[in-house]
Amino acid sequence: MRPRVPAERYTGASVRRVEDERLLTGRGTFVADAHLPGMLHAAFHRSPLPHARIVAVNTEAARRAPGVVAVFDGAEMTQMASPVAALGAAPGSGGPVSFGILAMDKVRLVGDPVALVVAESRALAEDACELIVVEYEELAPVVTVEQALDPSLPAIFEELGGNRLFGPEVKVFGDVDGAFARADRVVRASIHQHRHQNVPMEGRAILASFDASSGQLLVRASTQGVNTTRQMLAQQLRMPLDRVRVVAEDVGGSFGLKFGASREEAACCAASRALGQPVRWVEDRWENLTVSGQAREESFEVEAAVTASGLILGLRVQMVIDSGAYPGFAPLVVDIVREMIPGPYRLGALSFSSSGVVTNKASYVAYRGPWAAETFVRERIVDLVAQELGISALEVRLRNLATRDEPPLRMVTGPSLAGITARESLLRAAEIVDLARFQERQLRLRDEGRYLGVGFATYIEPAPGPRQEGGEGNTEQVRVELDRDGLLLVHTAQMPHGQSHRTTLAQVAADEFGARLEQVRVMVGDSQQTPEGFGTGGSRFAAMAGGAALHGARRLRGKVLEAAAQILDLAPTDLDIWRGELVGPGVPGGGLPLAELISRIDLAARSGQLPPGVDVDLTATEDFDGGESGWSGGTHCCVVEVDPDTGLVRILRYLVVEDCGDLINPAVVDGQIRGGVAQGVGAVLLERSAYDPEGQYLSATLMDYLLPTALDVPHIEIEHLSPVRLDPDVNFRGVGEGGMIAAPPTICNAIADALSPFGAKVLEQHLPPARILELIGATSA
Amino acid sequence: MKLPPFAYRAPESLEEGLELLAAGEGEARILAGGQSLIPMLALRLARPSLLIELRRVPGLAGVHEDGSGLRIGALTTELVAERDPRVRAASPLLFEALEFVGHPAIRSRGTVGGSLCHADPAAELPAAALVLGAELTARSLARGTRTIPARDFFLGPYTTALEFDEVVTEVRVPAPPSSQGSCYLEVSRRPGDFAMVGVAAAVVRGGDRVLDLRLALSGVGDRPRLLTRDELELEGQDSPEVLFGQAGRSVAARIRPPEDLHASAAYRRHLSRVLTERALRTAFERAALQGGAASA
Amino acid sequence: MPESELGARGPLPIRLEVNGEERGGDVEARTTLADFLRDQLGLTGTHLGCEHGVCGACTVLLDSLPTRSCLVLAASADGCRVETVEGLARDGQLSRLQRAMWDSHSFQCGFCTPGFLIQATALLAENPTPTEAEVRHALSGNLCRCTGYESIVRGVLAACAGPERSGAESK
Repeated sequence: MRPRVPAERYTGASVRRVEDERLLTGRGTFVADAHLPGMLHAAFHRSPLPHARIVAVNTEAARRAPGVVAVFDGAEMTQMASPVAALGAAPGSGGPVSFGILAMDKVRLVGDPVALVVAESRALAEDACELIVVEYEELAPVVTVEQALDPSLPAIFEELGGNRLFGPEVKVFGDVDGAFARADRVVRASIHQHRHQNVPMEGRAILASFDASSGQLLVRASTQGVNTTRQMLAQQLRMPLDRVRVVAEDVGGSFGLKFGASREEAACCAASRALGQPVRWVEDRWENLTVSGQAREESFEVEAAVTASGLILGLRVQMVIDSGAYPGFAPLVVDIVREMIPGPYRLGALSFSSSGVVTNKASYVAYRGPWAAETFVRERIVDLVAQELGISALEVRLRNLATRDEPPLRMVTGPSLAGITARESLLRAAEIVDLARFQERQLRLRDEGRYLGVGFATYIEPAPGPRQEGGEGNTEQVRVELDRDGLLLVHTAQMPHGQSHRTTLAQVAADEFGARLEQVRVMVGDSQQTPEGFGTGGSRFAAMAGGAALHGARRLRGKVLEAAAQILDLAPTDLDIWRGELVGPGVPGGGLPLAELISRIDLAARSGQLPPGVDVDLTATEDFDGGESGWSGGTHCCVVEVDPDTGLVRILRYLVVEDCGDLINPAVVDGQIRGGVAQGVGAVLLERSAYDPEGQYLSATLMDYLLPTALDVPHIEIEHLSPVRLDPDVNFRGVGEGGMIAAPPTICNAIADALSPFGAKVLEQHLPPARILELIGATSA
Repeated sequence: MKLPPFAYRAPESLEEGLELLAAGEGEARILAGGQSLIPMLALRLARPSLLIELRRVPGLAGVHEDGSGLRIGALTTELVAERDPRVRAASPLLFEALEFVGHPAIRSRGTVGGSLCHADPAAELPAAALVLGAELTARSLARGTRTIPARDFFLGPYTTALEFDEVVTEVRVPAPPSSQGSCYLEVSRRPGDFAMVGVAAAVVRGGDRVLDLRLALSGVGDRPRLLTRDELELEGQDSPEVLFGQAGRSVAARIRPPEDLHASAAYRRHLSRVLTERALRTAFERAALQGGAASA
Repeated sequence: MPESELGARGPLPIRLEVNGEERGGDVEARTTLADFLRDQLGLTGTHLGCEHGVCGACTVLLDSLPTRSCLVLAASADGCRVETVEGLARDGQLSRLQRAMWDSHSFQCGFCTPGFLIQATALLAENPTPTEAEVRHALSGNLCRCTGYESIVRGVLAACAGPERSGAESK
């Protein structure tokens, strides 16, 4: 057997991406690039009002407009399809409420789809949309949480009897009253996270093609998981699953947005079925910003019971989430925020109350690290405690962070903290940034009228989280098979949309099987051959899919070696597969290429030369729950300078010390971290999904919804900690969400530190220049 | 987000273009670089029946210099103007303002004349044109050629003194006095965005004294306005630093800035004061380098 | 104003050079260069990310200058020379920039990629040895939602580091 030294492995190396050659030469295929004969184009007539009753919809002129093939209004669409609640809107958590695929009786947000126009081109469809006349009876808009809780305002869904979607629900962990009784002091804060959104560079898109003769619907989707999309489309279209096939090729980003199938996507499928022609809808940027979905708007009332020395004994938290117009992801987010809010801290008691409301705004969707409010609130509170007690924030963190060897070994909310390296990451970050020296410089520069600040945030993220004890296995399935060309096909329900899965899963499988990287094909995005699984999300890829691929490749390798041993009359232990060849003493020619080996196995099997019991089905399907991998996490540190005259914030340094287990491909890992941090920079300094008091959406173009540019995102230093390896085989962990979880509190903490000489208190996440000047009292709020 | 239907013509002569424009009776528009007009069409915020593009008309693009200053053809792209060494030498303020316009891929199409005629209140070039004392040459069939000083040109948001049948053909930028220094400064949410506040400033220096100053701000009202020493009611004899502080406060007191998603009115007012002081100070310092300090 | 008197909404015949080839077609007046390239010439490498001139994904070279093809009418490009992402590789060999971007893991989802490649190609044609600050400035009109830009900037810098490598060479 050859030793498998790290230098000979793909895993752990920044091998170039197999995705890139196509993408760099303009040969990617996104939904807008796909074309079918007879393809028609969809556009939606959308509500200009946030809240109104529909009195009448007149589509006559649109039906007669040039190039128009069909127009469907809400009533017609109801005959064709019925909506389902989006992912996460569990029954009993605010639902069921009734609404149409297209709005029927009411519109509930600006941009609510009222009619679908199908025409020979998108331009003609848009022209016809302008000819649709809708008579509305305006209702008072419900724009804020306060308005949602005001019983005098009209209910967005009459059946809810108001605009409270769920709660308040209170859950208590540990002795909360005792903690507050023992406290030397209670630190209170109202902390707010603003509404912002995913904004993938490719918006939602679908190409639906119904074949009347077979009754089969073929869908080209931009999705995070073909199975979930298929499931939701079949349900909405009232079709059996086997008649719906969902295929995805390149997906231009998502960050949580593209799960399942939206109302618009279902409408296009219904239209294709009704017309017997392919229908394509490519969401434009106005639609994407206005209606695709928004995230994060949550407010928190927090009380922290603390000792004089800075120990945080307990928290009382009241959370309200603004779910937007149509029920969706919010209830699931609340559950995770509650569980995760202790983070890597030895918090002994927690009382957590949660409520959700509906408003006339875009529906709440998942966005990278959807539960990130827990880190934002906790890390902000830690700094506020430090500020109130006059202790350094680093000191407060160190006093409260859990370690691996002292109890408690689990969060007060339940999950085990096994394997965390939070404390190590904080110490290392403070060391790299040379905190003491920075603070000297900070004081010196203040005398010159320059305001620098440093901020930290320490977090853990379930990636995929500790093994669920006693629970039903939450697993990811991977099917590994050898085809006749000797290619190793690795089928996964993961659906890459930037994460490089076609490369990284191949690295893992190639190493374990002994193949060359170019002999591995990662097969994604076709519901006809994709294994079970909902898709990419929840940091399931590295540990769960990676682990399943590793175990699958290992089992398949065992099968191949056993069959080879039989054919060659050698002991399996003398054989190995290395770089795509069967090798070992006694192997003819010193090495047998896989393709040749497979045809010999096949021949031997068919001619009955193999003894019974030798498994020649060269396929292995493995389900894997992520093993003991548990948590990713780390500490981010940021140094900023705030110009007190303009309110502009400059990020002078950004550092990430993190632990996501063993790295499959370091360049891919670093790209995920940097991309997440960039979104955090955007959240704090630039991005806001803003509504005016009348419920009109203000951020509907990219001139108004401000994504960070190459001049806004700083160089991001990354150091990877050596992980605690608890699993015998699989110690990869997810890394996609942490950047976005930790960056907002880190940057806000740094800004708060810079503004401390002004007595400013930072209780919100969005800090554009105008707000900075209000906080320091240079302008009135 | 597709453009609404319209007709299109690219005439070979200015006369033909002017005829089309006149015949369009206000429904026709000139398409210059299109960097502002086409987004408005894409968002269906504008609905011309006819777009007239003058790219085939000779002589409308190009930079010329004579003893009295620069003559910039209206269809000169911002990129060409920015890269022309004569612009940089003869009108550093214009050069500086051009660099703040959008991004290179916008300036490669966007034109100097187009930006002025679009008259976005937050745009850079109108403010610079005011401070530079630029003059616009306008042509129409009905009125022939007339010259419109920049200070009479901007009437309101996206509104200018041009009649519907008129086309700007040229922008004249007079040579600044040798003792003048200038500065364009702005703060936007991101580099390349429209200004929350932009300040174009020019200072004529005599030794350690300010002989004259001129300002125009973008982003703080319905249109940029030229603000002179008299209009700002500045005392004459103070030291430059005191004067600049006065000017900043005076500007802040005089403007009625808008409030929007990106900034409150109070913020814009504050920033106007800060940037006015900074721009005047920089302009004053630059004047010294250009010989203003010696001419006292 | 009747349409027929003053001008046509289309079809308007245009001819232009795209990636070194003479191409032509009949376009509607309102057809943008981006839609013409994508829908009529099948050059779908040029992506539409916003259609209002902010994201830069649709950037092409128009007479050698980086230009947002969503903000140019196809009719306006009549007689012009256009280069798109499909034209960057020559004879199946990736350009030096494309190779450097591949080596640098510059991109993730790949949607913004064509705009960055074109913008960076234009930068390097003008300034073969830009500083990091110059690269960031030149790319600041192109939006990427995945990467945080560092890998893209590194890719551009890698393309101008050291002597020109032969086309066949690749890691």
